[in-house]
Amino acid sequence: MKIVQKKICLLGDFAVGKTSLTRRFVEGRFDDKYLSTIGVKVSRRLIEREDHSLNLLIWDLVGGNELSQRETGYLVGAAGALIVCDLTRPETVETLKRYAHHLRVVSPAAALVFIGNKLDLTAERMVTDDTLTAVSASLQAEFRLTSAKTGQNVAEAFLRLAEKMEAS
Amino acid sequence: MEADNQQNEAESVSSHAPTPEDEVLLASVQSILLGRERRRIVELESEIAHLQAQIESKLNKAEMRSVALGSELQTTQRALTAAEDRVRQLELETQSLRQRAQTDSEGLMARLTPVFGRLVSRRIRENPDEMAEALGPVMGEAIRVQIRDSRDDMVEALTPVVGETVQRAVAVFFRDLQRNVDARLRSTFGPGGVWRAVTARMRGVSAAELALRDSLAYEIQELFVIQHGSGFLLARYEGGGQETADSDLISGMLTAVRDFVRDSFDPTGKEPGYLDEVQYGNLRILIHNGRSAYVAVVLKGVEPAGFRAHLQRLVNDLHLQHEAVLHAYSGDPVALPDLQPRLSQFITGLSGEPPSSRSFSTAEKTILFGGGLVGLFLIGLACFYLQFTIALYPVAFPSPTPTNTATPTNTPTATATPTHTPTFTPTPTYTPTPTHTPTLTPSPTATATPTNTPTPTNTPTPTPTPTITPSPTATGTPTATFTPPAAETAGSVWVRTGPSLDAPLIMPIEPNTPLILLSVSGPWAEIQWVANTPWLSGVQRGWVPLRWLTLRSDVLPVTATPTPTPTLRP
Repeated sequence: MKIVQKKICLLGDFAVGKTSLTRRFVEGRFDDKYLSTIGVKVSRRLIEREDHSLNLLIWDLVGGNELSQRETGYLVGAAGALIVCDLTRPETVETLKRYAHHLRVVSPAAALVFIGNKLDLTAERMVTDDTLTAVSASLQAEFRLTSAKTGQNVAEAFLRLAEKMEAS
Repeated sequence: MEADNQQNEAESVSSHAPTPEDEVLLASVQSILLGRERRRIVELESEIAHLQAQIESKLNKAEMRSVALGSELQTTQRALTAAEDRVRQLELETQSLRQRAQTDSEGLMARLTPVFGRLVSRRIRENPDEMAEALGPVMGEAIRVQIRDSRDDMVEALTPVVGETVQRAVAVFFRDLQRNVDARLRSTFGPGGVWRAVTARMRGVSAAELALRDSLAYEIQELFVIQHGSGFLLARYEGGGQETADSDLISGMLTAVRDFVRDSFDPTGKEPGYLDEVQYGNLRILIHNGRSAYVAVVLKGVEPAGFRAHLQRLVNDLHLQHEAVLHAYSGDPVALPDLQPRLSQFITGLSGEPPSSRSFSTAEKTILFGGGLVGLFLIGLACFYLQFTIALYPVAFPSPTPTNTATPTNTPTATATPTHTPTFTPTPTYTPTPTHTPTLTPSPTATATPTNTPTPTNTPTPTPTPTITPSPTATGTPTATFTPPAAETAGSVWVRTGPSLDAPLIMPIEPNTPLILLSVSGPWAEIQWVANTPWLSGVQRGWVPLRWLTLRSDVLPVTATPTPTPTLRP
């Protein structure tokens, strides 16, 4: 069975839960210290499809308000991206479009899925589904609500991105 | 309450003087009303009596127990006293033993050592792992302390062991090195060896140094072909080393690190280049960059000379054959060609081919090409100069024409001896380069004997024919071209106007300046040369010490017409 490689990137502001989502999903990864040293950490997860295997190489980029030239270079060759926001911090939704723009500049054909993370913090949630729907619709993308803490919908979000990558 | 009422009634009755009937009545009433209480009182009184009896019994028992305890206490006190005495005695003994131990530690150790020795030996036999685990940290710390406190002693103690170990390791290393050098030397005698020697010289090292460097052991652990940007692993060769981590992650992180270094130190991207080597301990990652992919080789040891060129050829070949695919690869292995054969060829090429057959790098090729061009240019320049010299030679040094052979060469002997004045037969093979001896007297007026006559070896030999009759009319032409002896300066020499040190100076002449020797006067020689200086040019004459001249036969002198005209006599 052939193994197809796909590079995906995780983008989003600081502390939205990108690394936690990755940790939930992947099976092989480098230490998180690389995030603070070189700004990226590469992980891998092999998922089985119908007639082949998909080797997802997950590039977890360090969070920040703006991607530097270096981090933009890390987007080269990406077939898709998960752009993550924090459901308890409305300001993290504002930057979703900016990350999507960076991705489209470097990899125009990349698939895109937005993630509203920290779904488990229901009492502190401040971002509504309507808000995420509006943002996603403006970029012809879709979104998923996840909780890296409980694992809710994490794998489903990654798999949805994989489907979109293979469909495109 | 009922008792109180009865009491109140009794008190009210007693306040009156009772009659006997009253008393009887009262007694009957009392018996009726207080019968139960009286029975209860009796019962209580009997119970009290019973209890008092029990108390008395228990008191008696307690007294007896107290007595017994008293006796027991006394016994215990006596035992305690005895124990205290024993303790004091033991303390004294302990103190005595401690003093003995301090004063006689050697004896104590001698007594205890066998015990401890047997104990430890037994323990080690029974559970060696446990003992090693227990003693390991202690021994490590003990060694550290010992090294810190008694460094010299430790060095002295360990030197034989370490020395032997190092000696053995070095011996193994040199044995391997010797094998490799021998193998290299066996391949030296041949075209490859010669070529390697030439390339070694071009690199500025000797062939032996290059052979030695090539003989150093190295091992390729892994080889990766990685796509730029995405960090996709395109191909991988796994060597004999230990298996590393996930190769997909390595290729990704290595790409990220390369980008990180480039963006950190060259954020503008003006300097072309990437990280080309990473070193970790004895391991090194050599990276060679291509347009769409790069190759990373993880190796241990020192790579041989030409390894980089080999690597470059691999990258070039991969790009020449598959660049479009390498560039457009997006993760689907179907679109990716099988690069393994080329990687295997690279590996076998390193181990199988002699280093001399390795290709040159671009810089080396450029140097070779430039050197070839310069060589060709020099050869062409030399040919042109030779041709130019040959063409101008007759102009610069006109030779006597063979027609002069009709006229006898200016041999002063013609006038010296009448017998030597025949009519000469001209010889067409005349060569105008006479050889002179330093003792010649070249002056046309010289009256030297024929033996002193300069005898040009190729001077047409006058062959006097017997039929020739010396005739006064047979005259040698005095206007014959005179060929003076040629010479050159043996060093820088001053030319003077006369044959004396007091004569005024004319100018210095450079060494090896061709000149014509006109005459000799004692240690001085009159010369003629062509000056070519800004202040003096043209044909000049003057005097120089004879010892500064070297007579030559291969330098053609400037032709000069001798002033004296010999007179022929019949």
